[in-house]
Amino acid sequence: MGLMRAVFDMAFRPGMQRMKPQGPGWPVRLFHIDTGGCGGCGMELQALSCAPFDMQGAGFGFVHSPRNADMLVVTGPLTRAMAPVVQAAWEAMPAPRGLVCVGACALDGGMFGENYAVMGGLERRVSIDLAIPGCPPTPMDVLDGLRSLFRPPVPAPDTQGGVAAGGADGAGG
Amino acid sequence: MTAASLIRAGAQTATPWRFELDELGWRDMVAALAHDHDSLPFAGLWCDGVCVHALFLPHGQPLAATLALDDGRYPALSPARPVSAFYERAIYDLYGAEAMWAVDVRPLLDHDVWLNTAPLSPTPGMAGTHKGLVRFQPAEGLHADGAQRDGWGPATGGMGSPFHVGLAVSGGRVLGAQSQTGYAHRGLALRWRGSTVEQAARLSSRVAARCSLAHQVAFSWAVEAACGHAAGVPAEHARVALLEIERIGHHLYTLADVAGLAGADLPASRCMMLRERILADVAPIVGSRLLMDTCVPGGVRVKQMAQMAELCSLVPDIARPGLAELNQLWRDYPGLATRLAGLGTPAAEVLDRTGLDGPVARAAGRDCDVRRGLPAYEGLWRYTAGPQHGTAQDRALLLLDEIAESLGMLDRLAGRMGPISGPGTLSLRDGEGTARVEGPWGSIAYWVRLHEGRVAQVFYHTPEPATLMLFEDTLRGCAADDIALLASSLGVEVAAQDG
Repeated sequence: MGLMRAVFDMAFRPGMQRMKPQGPGWPVRLFHIDTGGCGGCGMELQALSCAPFDMQGAGFGFVHSPRNADMLVVTGPLTRAMAPVVQAAWEAMPAPRGLVCVGACALDGGMFGENYAVMGGLERRVSIDLAIPGCPPTPMDVLDGLRSLFRPPVPAPDTQGGVAAGGADGAGG
Repeated sequence: MTAASLIRAGAQTATPWRFELDELGWRDMVAALAHDHDSLPFAGLWCDGVCVHALFLPHGQPLAATLALDDGRYPALSPARPVSAFYERAIYDLYGAEAMWAVDVRPLLDHDVWLNTAPLSPTPGMAGTHKGLVRFQPAEGLHADGAQRDGWGPATGGMGSPFHVGLAVSGGRVLGAQSQTGYAHRGLALRWRGSTVEQAARLSSRVAARCSLAHQVAFSWAVEAACGHAAGVPAEHARVALLEIERIGHHLYTLADVAGLAGADLPASRCMMLRERILADVAPIVGSRLLMDTCVPGGVRVKQMAQMAELCSLVPDIARPGLAELNQLWRDYPGLATRLAGLGTPAAEVLDRTGLDGPVARAAGRDCDVRRGLPAYEGLWRYTAGPQHGTAQDRALLLLDEIAESLGMLDRLAGRMGPISGPGTLSLRDGEGTARVEGPWGSIAYWVRLHEGRVAQVFYHTPEPATLMLFEDTLRGCAADDIALLASSLGVEVAAQDG
């Protein structure tokens, strides 16, 4: 992976050993924005943030301000009214920062491709650090995707599976 | 004359329940509506670029008035039905048709950032010129002496659909609130236009995920009404079962959100754990956790058809023990009842003015439930009397009661459900159909027009506009920190309204 994985490796997995990350970088803080979807992916994120999914135990938590966030989690197709909101949230996040797209709409627009009000997905517009497809993906799909950030880099990226991780430099917005 | 008789005095169209009025007839209808609040429930105002159509559902039966646009204008309904202002604002944004004497003319969906103004009109306008964040455009009346301007949304870090609330705040209390929506507008009306029934059904699944199944069923019933097709008793039983399963899941989700925002983490966790236990059994049989793409015109399409009857027994068996514990915990959890009992009581006058139904109205003592009159619920639905003071706690307790009632319906369905086959083939003829469903937050009505084997137009009416009006009014006097809690308790959600 790119810079984002390198940052996680440096911060959380010194010596490439699986260990619970320590220090102020823990948990990885996520800021969610629904950019105009049906709300299904948001519901599954809400489910993920509650019992019985041990999201916090896995090292992730949602925050209510982009200023406190490590990663921006986007759901829904990007509407023209929400594009500046995403941009503003991204710019408010401290570096290093990452971008996670949850659901088909956030990736490529899904059922809501480009029209007069919708720009489609983020896939071809910005560099995405983690892509979690599905309509909507289940909470376990999302959790598995997030946990993949801590897995060792694989020689050949597998983009056919449930989760696609990529992004050259962790840049988005 | 009553408004209904004025409508029926218009020219009969090919659709038996739709009548075309001239402008004077339309104005007379608006004047009569101002004095006729009870007998003619308003169910939406829509435009097709040539005409505007107002739909009413007296005694659950459709009655529609049509008026041809005169130079792109028509007399507004909002002086008589305030909630119509949302539809008039949407019509202006999408079609450029102007509602004369409207009570609110602020943009609803188009905030000057679209590729075209009036994108659905025959001659769309130029692209919006605004760059950057959408400006909040308050109506008169938001400003208050000595109040500080504040705002909430559209990006709060929460999981709901994006919208903004402009606030006038003093001493931590809200003196005035106005919402701004349109951030999640996806152009559903345009996407539906000319689509196949299958494509349109998939879109109806994704109007609002919280009520996905209710939208699917209302759409399917409306298409079937237009075709004169009946899906058959087993399919209708399966639809009712799925509607009630959605209601159970939705109510638990809402209760968890309310409890979490009220600081009661344990009840919140219990609600979500119970919901997950149910979904763990529902998803393999239905094929979707949120019940998407399970109902289509002609029938239902679930993964394991043969196990639907078993599912009707399974869900109550799983849910009842947990629900009993949850009921007790909700009442006993320290501080939760007190926190919610003083919050968010809607004014009776506002409830009447908005015409809101669903659990919010039922918890305030209103007797309104679409299921009462639906043939599919015959012998299943029973009136549940609950708390009626309208507070957030009353709404929560009512949701718990409704979960128990839905479980009872599933019990009754389990013994009746026959073998279900896949969706039947529809003979798509030109025509119009309407249908109404009791969704988790109130009634959802669809109006579908078919033409040459495709969907020509789809309109829908949801509780969301009325809920937003009620939310703005109920916020006054509340602590500014309670906005999210109040929004959750009242069921404020804008995915369907933005459309």
